Amino acid sequence: MISRFVLALGLAVVVLVGSTTTFMYLGARHSKTLAPPEKPTAATPRAHAFTLPGTLYLAQSGAIYSLSAGRFHQLTPEAGWAMPSMDPNGNILAIKYGSYWSDLYVLNPYGVPLLQVTSNRARSGMVDPSLNHWVFYPRVSPDGKTLWLTYDGLKCDGCYDVSPAIYSLPYGGALRQARAWTDGGNYTGGDQQPLPLSSGAVVYTRYDFASNIDSNLDNKLVGMLWYTNRPNAVGRALTGPGEDCREPSLSPDGTEMAMICTYQKQVSYLTIASWDGSSLGPRRTIVSDQLVAQPIWAPDGSGIAYLAPGEAAGAFQLWFLPKAAYAPPPAPPPPSPTPGGPHNGPLPSPSPSPAPAPVKPIQMTTNAGFDATSPMAWSR
Amino acid sequence: MLVVLAFVMSLAAGGVAYFIPAAQIAFEAAGQVVHVTPSPSILFSPTPSESAQPTASPVTGAFTVLLLGSDDDSKFNPDHVLTQSMILVRVVPSTKEVTMLSIPRDLYVHLSTGGYGKIDGAYSYGGPGAAIATVEQDFGVHVDDYIWVGLLGLVKLIDAIGGIDVVTSNPVLDDYYPADIYSSWPYDYQRIAVLAGPQHLDGIHAMQYVRSRHGDLQSDFGRSRRQQQVLLAIRQKAKQMSPADLPAMAAAIGGELKTSIGLDKVAAMLPLAASFDNPDQIRQLILLPPYTHGGGPGGSINANWNLILPLVHTYFP
Repeated sequence: MISRFVLALGLAVVVLVGSTTTFMYLGARHSKTLAPPEKPTAATPRAHAFTLPGTLYLAQSGAIYSLSAGRFHQLTPEAGWAMPSMDPNGNILAIKYGSYWSDLYVLNPYGVPLLQVTSNRARSGMVDPSLNHWVFYPRVSPDGKTLWLTYDGLKCDGCYDVSPAIYSLPYGGALRQARAWTDGGNYTGGDQQPLPLSSGAVVYTRYDFASNIDSNLDNKLVGMLWYTNRPNAVGRALTGPGEDCREPSLSPDGTEMAMICTYQKQVSYLTIASWDGSSLGPRRTIVSDQLVAQPIWAPDGSGIAYLAPGEAAGAFQLWFLPKAAYAPPPAPPPPSPTPGGPHNGPLPSPSPSPAPAPVKPIQMTTNAGFDATSPMAWSR
Repeated sequence: MLVVLAFVMSLAAGGVAYFIPAAQIAFEAAGQVVHVTPSPSILFSPTPSESAQPTASPVTGAFTVLLLGSDDDSKFNPDHVLTQSMILVRVVPSTKEVTMLSIPRDLYVHLSTGGYGKIDGAYSYGGPGAAIATVEQDFGVHVDDYIWVGLLGLVKLIDAIGGIDVVTSNPVLDDYYPADIYSSWPYDYQRIAVLAGPQHLDGIHAMQYVRSRHGDLQSDFGRSRRQQQVLLAIRQKAKQMSPADLPAMAAAIGGELKTSIGLDKVAAMLPLAASFDNPDQIRQLILLPPYTHGGGPGGSINANWNLILPLVHTYFP
């Protein structure tokens, strides 16, 4: 016969354990999408299943990371760093955000600052906000002589417009040597993400009202790829307002352009088109079921890396699309009948070769949370 | 038998303890009683209202919700805030169609509380009832329920669901963005830059994206378009949430959200929201010119009711 005391004690323990366990179980059942991103250097599983060629640079939470031989390395502290790109010497150009400005730095391959190119913080702080400036998307021209960037240096007195324009300056020079190639538009968000070409011209993303291009269209702000080959010249649209494209990236052999097109919707498509140096060929969508951003071609031409959520509404992860997915190898010729003498009977019909399995994008990281507004850089 | 009963009850007790804070906040926020005050139209010319009689939704199950968003920082008396954002949302469950109509906050209308003024003042004069009555009388729609969210509430809500993924249609750069959240001086301002393209936004950056208007030639209209984008992104992200997330979400938005929708209706709407997957069945309407034009009193916007009312009656029958 169990004593009442023991029974009461046992029941109390059962109640305590049961209720506590339930409470803790529910507390641990949060959605996966609520989990904060891990640093790429700590994230598991590591990016080991597939190794990308060369070294890829990308940004997360204000730090720049490199991915080389399947391992991530944190190059800078989490201090507002973003938008890495490479110079011909193997150094890294990067933006560092301040509270209400941003500056351009040159870092060595290990992330150590070598040079501060701009000083965009006004001494008067926010007394006159227009004296502060943003600089974004630095790129060095293929010949290594010219630095290209997006800069809000054309602000007008007494108005609110902060539409940045595309600027160029001698690489190694000072910002006062910069000259505007575009006008930045008028209350549109400006011209962004220059892509310097070997010809000396530049492709960039221009934001403008669709109705400014075609009066029959809605008065929506859209992105378009534009081309211009001299400063202050009226450029030329490469994509239409309906395509709503941005984030251009040129293939290593200079014959194809990758871009992100949204068709004015809350979706994004990784699109490629042939490129002849001044105009785009027919568009081809190669990724359509993800929120893709910032495509970049592998320097050896083996594929395209991009950022996209790992699962629906999750943080942005690194993905790689092998070349076979968008440029499949040519099909082998159909088998011919066996050679030999005259054949009176019916020829054997060649059996159709099995269709090749579709090549899918490879998810390189799982728990990271990369900055999808920051372009990536890729060196050999 | 006693042990089994104790175990089952302990499991239930653990669950109740887990969800009690959320339930308490939900009870406080939901089921707000609304007094929809009819306009004293005898005293004021009912110009837009003559042809705009509110009618109940004829489609079975369809309902219309008025979404209200306010700056509720220390610049304002908490009980008399303006509604910087007003969006009419009509949901037709049978066809899985959603229509969102952004009402310009500066629209010069006949207020239900009397007189004329910008429509964003209706809430400040008479709370949600006045805002609903003003929209009903001027636009000729029947509003079933309202949801009001404060500035900080939207930031906290988005953070509570882990941020949102959006395609920001254009860079939003503003030298004079109000620095009234987490600031000791609510009249201060700051520079912001929300870049364009697909990206993940936390609460504060999502707020910057939907609230900034100085760098947009379309000002409030451009902002309305961005607000609709973020609303859809919140809906998309909310579909990923699990019931275990409710206490954290409720704690985050406690006091920053009020609605006339009862908890029973909320429970019925959750699976409905998850079933709306086709973006082509979500219609977004903005009252750009020629539906409206500037030049109204005190910087307000005049309505072209001859165009607005047929549009509204088409999509909000």
